[in-house]
Amino acid sequence: MKPSAFLLALVGVCVLQGAAGTRLTLAGVQPDLFLILAVGASLGVAPEAAALMGFLAGLYQDALSGAPLGLRAFTLTLMAFGAARVGRELEAGRPAAQFAVLLGGAALAGVITLATLSFFFGPPPLLATLLRVMVPETLLTAALGTALLGAARLWRTVRKAAA
Amino acid sequence: MTAALLRLVSRHRRGAVLASALLVAFLTLTLQARQDSVPVSFAKRALLMTVAPFIKATAWVGGGVRGVWREYVDLRGVQAENRQLRSQLGALQQRLEALQEMAQENRRLQSMLEMPELPGARPVVVRVIGKDATNWFRTILIDRGSADGLERNIPVVAPLGLVGRVVEVAPIVARVQLITDPVSSVGALVQRTRVTGIAAGDGGAALRLRYLPLMSDVAVGDRVVTSGMGGVFPKGIPLGTVVAVERRSGALFQEAVLEPTADLSKLEEIAALVPHPGRASGAERHEGGGDRAR
Repeated sequence: MKPSAFLLALVGVCVLQGAAGTRLTLAGVQPDLFLILAVGASLGVAPEAAALMGFLAGLYQDALSGAPLGLRAFTLTLMAFGAARVGRELEAGRPAAQFAVLLGGAALAGVITLATLSFFFGPPPLLATLLRVMVPETLLTAALGTALLGAARLWRTVRKAAA
Repeated sequence: MTAALLRLVSRHRRGAVLASALLVAFLTLTLQARQDSVPVSFAKRALLMTVAPFIKATAWVGGGVRGVWREYVDLRGVQAENRQLRSQLGALQQRLEALQEMAQENRRLQSMLEMPELPGARPVVVRVIGKDATNWFRTILIDRGSADGLERNIPVVAPLGLVGRVVEVAPIVARVQLITDPVSSVGALVQRTRVTGIAAGDGGAALRLRYLPLMSDVAVGDRVVTSGMGGVFPKGIPLGTVVAVERRSGALFQEAVLEPTADLSKLEEIAALVPHPGRASGAERHEGGGDRAR
């Protein structure tokens, strides 16, 4: 993804996450569009560029939430770097495999956030956080991410056929 | 030496970029772990300000599109009115719904203005334009900021009860931490028995009233208001109603579960209680006695 396209998408996600994101909820929890952007933008780019994109997306997510600055930046940097390393396999995989990878990724992002939050600010109530935040967010983010990957693949196929 | 270092970084560019980004994030978090950091707060406000105009514009355009759509639907109804009496009824019905929506908004705004005067504060009506960008915290974004006199720790209320407090202020927007946020706590008072405790958010829709003495009289249905201790929230603002009381064997205190009086999932217009000029602002007031944010 080009830097300009990434910045445009980032502004779009900033607007969407607070407004439209709340309409697509599971048990009152919305999908993590910033994580989807960080992972999606990292596919097909160098890991160092992916890390920077993840860092920037995370900073904006922190700025638009009650989170301390750096919490999601830390998580998304790692996730984007990891996504860039497995990018080709993720893009070429079947939807079920993509869903499994995204499910694992979203769960890992939740665990990293929980661990970082606990390390710096004390542990939040574990069971409530698992049930109310991590599990629904992971499921919803993985499902939406798989759908978007499928849509992107369809778009590329259509463009190829048109060309 | 420098050249050698640059060669080393260049050779391990991938790892160096990742490590640098993680280190910056780690250091930023470290700065905020104990107390507020001025540079970090400034950076957060600066980041917020780069996207706040887009968010405000989207909220404004969204409201406008809804209005235009309503008028468009009405217009179609009026044209149909000339042809069929039945469609006239439909169009009038739609118009009635639009007016009812406006009347509801007027009532909400009216109730804001009619809220009992709190000593030393004037209500400034604000609109909610965004929600928290993560699921880990419970905050909202409002369409007024320091340009309208908002400051940190100013209480925010809805007609039915307390909403939260302002925790970040940029010139044109501000962030409000809801009372249900996991790191929010408010000094609370059971209205019937005058027992005090601390109402803390648990990240869900409810509040937990903590540190209630074991032998204190708290029952389901009791109304709970702010205690005024701590100096951030004025005394007597409705907080919630007790829906359950939990007494664990061996525990030093009992706890109660509160349902917030204000419906925090459907906030549209709310009021920030801005101190009158000359009064101590929220940021200057003492924080303690239960009223606590991060």
